Amino acid sequence: MAAINFSELLVSSVDDIKNSLATLHALISQLKNNYPDKKPPEFKQLEFETNRMNNSLMQLLTLHKIDLSHFSLTIDEHSAADILEDVAAQQSSLLSLGSIQLLTQSQSDLFCYCDATHIINALCTLVNNAQHYCLSKVLLSASQEGDYVVFCLEDDGTGYPEDLLRSDQKVPGLEDTTTGNTHLGLVYVETIAQLHVKADQKGFITTDNNSQFGGARFKLYLP
Amino acid sequence: MTINLASKKILIVEDQAIMRETIKHIMVTFGARHIIEAESGLNAITAMRVDKFDIVLCDYNLLRGKNGQQVLEEARHLKLLPINAIFIMVTGEQNPEMVLSAIDNKPDDYLIKPFNQQQLLIRIDRCYTRKKFLRSIDNKIDSGNLYQAIECCEELLQLNDKKMHLPLLKLRAELAIKVGDFKSAEAIYQGILQERDIPWARCGLGVVAFFLSFYDQAIETFQNLIKQYPVMLEAYDWLVKAYESLGNNESAMSSLNLAVELSPLSILRQKKLALLADKTQNLPVAKKAYMATIKLGKNSIHRSSSDYAGLANVYLKSNAPNEALKIVYELNQQFRNDPEAKLRSALLETRIYQAKDNKTLAQQAYGKAFKLNEEFNRQVSRELRLEMAKTFFLNGNGENCDEILNDLLKTNIDDKPFIKDIELMCDAIIGEEHANTLIQEIKKELVDINNKGVSLFQEGDIQGALAIFEQAITKTPNNHTINLNLIKVLIHDLKASQLASEKILRTQSFINKAIEIGVPHSQLSSLQKELTSLKENLSITS
Repeated sequence: MAAINFSELLVSSVDDIKNSLATLHALISQLKNNYPDKKPPEFKQLEFETNRMNNSLMQLLTLHKIDLSHFSLTIDEHSAADILEDVAAQQSSLLSLGSIQLLTQSQSDLFCYCDATHIINALCTLVNNAQHYCLSKVLLSASQEGDYVVFCLEDDGTGYPEDLLRSDQKVPGLEDTTTGNTHLGLVYVETIAQLHVKADQKGFITTDNNSQFGGARFKLYLP
Repeated sequence: MTINLASKKILIVEDQAIMRETIKHIMVTFGARHIIEAESGLNAITAMRVDKFDIVLCDYNLLRGKNGQQVLEEARHLKLLPINAIFIMVTGEQNPEMVLSAIDNKPDDYLIKPFNQQQLLIRIDRCYTRKKFLRSIDNKIDSGNLYQAIECCEELLQLNDKKMHLPLLKLRAELAIKVGDFKSAEAIYQGILQERDIPWARCGLGVVAFFLSFYDQAIETFQNLIKQYPVMLEAYDWLVKAYESLGNNESAMSSLNLAVELSPLSILRQKKLALLADKTQNLPVAKKAYMATIKLGKNSIHRSSSDYAGLANVYLKSNAPNEALKIVYELNQQFRNDPEAKLRSALLETRIYQAKDNKTLAQQAYGKAFKLNEEFNRQVSRELRLEMAKTFFLNGNGENCDEILNDLLKTNIDDKPFIKDIELMCDAIIGEEHANTLIQEIKKELVDINNKGVSLFQEGDIQGALAIFEQAITKTPNNHTINLNLIKVLIHDLKASQLASEKILRTQSFINKAIEIGVPHSQLSSLQKELTSLKENLSITS
């Protein structure tokens, strides 16, 4: 038997599973149409889990490509308000099934230079999680802080656990062996942030529990 | 939402019934009334022949037959898509701009699966708003009037729409490059880069360097871009062109090979790789690329008998005449009633049977080629005619060979790369000075015609001069000087006689043509200004 190229097999399989997920997603949205008024609560979890699976697969694929140097960002100028609108749109199906409120806030003339697809994916992952951990609301805002455009996510949950808190710019331990949690989402967001460079400045992320609503706060800095 | 879906004709191209239903449901929920569904690329094309759609949502991975890109290429090629229509490619790929990037024919936008109703509507709405904003420019580009497109672009820039500012500058610079106004393009790109390091602006500077023939500088720019953005296919495409212009086909081929690895589904890149590998005698790469091109061509508007001929030639060069014959057989099967394909296969058979030392069959095939050439000569592509000239010479028929060469040289005299191909062929087979002698004769003839026209013009015989240049342009349609002189005389005639809109239109069409064949901006822009002011006079008087 010829040696298998595991890398290629992995990529094509993940692509294939992603296609299945897209079909599954379409099926769920069709099923939902059968309940014009109140939708059964299971839909919320279905939506959350399919989002999560899709995000994880996409992140794995992207990180794998970065690892192989088969990846580059598509940098262009984007309106921050558009990016927030895209994130809110992606999260809208999940939001419509629960009572969580997603607020967005940004000036209309704020622009940033980034790969919009990946920044939106990163923010969607974070908002998806925040919806899971918050009590009633999540605020996603964009603003200029010095040389950086900052996307900030604040919720009213119980905040990040100790091991995820950091204000420095260091990459966290990839894997927490005791819980098996890989923090894939955070690794992805951080990696994408760092690929955004302007002269000697790099993108970075911070996490703390200083949300104006008393929960977790996440900030993504883009130069 | 600014778009009103109720009045729009919408086409959904998607092979999975469930996805089609979902998309349709979303569109109907938001007021759409005219929706057509197609589950294959072929049906999509058929639907576009019947209806003019405003919005096309097309899946990239269609299970059978054409993929989404092939649908787009065919629709644009056959002009089935109205100029202001929106074409959105739906794909599971996270980096579609990169991975699916074709050499030409990009969709208006991509939509990444899975998506919900909000995401779909936002994508359509933004696309619609952008297209509507750029409508005046798109219309001018479509009619071939690039100078007016530039004017529209300048006007829109005055509106100071912040979101559209950079996209407009990008378009403005690209238009400047198209008309050959490289200085303006350079200034725009540099202005942008002073503010911010944007990859496409850096690439643009490389393109400007390329057109100004600063090839080393262009190559350095593209290489640096690729180092930083290893998946930026546009930079690879230009890098390949720059290497080719330096005559460094080896480097061109290896760069293109990398781009093909990144985008194996792009037929035009595969085709170009096959040709370059063929030129550099890299037969294994050529064979692989020709095979890929043939496979991709099965559902593509870019399908061509030349790919089969290329592959057969590679087999012939690799001393495998029987394999070559098999490909010729396949060529005949695939392209029935196509004169170009018939001529190709006759030429190939001639060479294959010669290689197999079968004189009777070789002679038979040559006779067939001879007859086909008599019947169709001007209808087939120039590269095939060159091949025909070569075969004539090799079979001792120098007269017919020169007849084709003369015609090819006349119609392409200002097309340097093609003239180079002719020279290379002549040098290798006929003799060092042969091409040069023919070229000098044609150039002398052109100078004579021009002098005659110009002196008639100076003597005040405008109609006489016009007749000379109009006759000349039918014989040498792509000659810069004759085109320019014809435009000058036409404008003079317009000024002297009563203004007539059809004359203005005709003059404009020659200017559009002159841009297309690469007449420099420095020579054209003042003529365009004169014509534009004549046009304005006409609209004032009428």
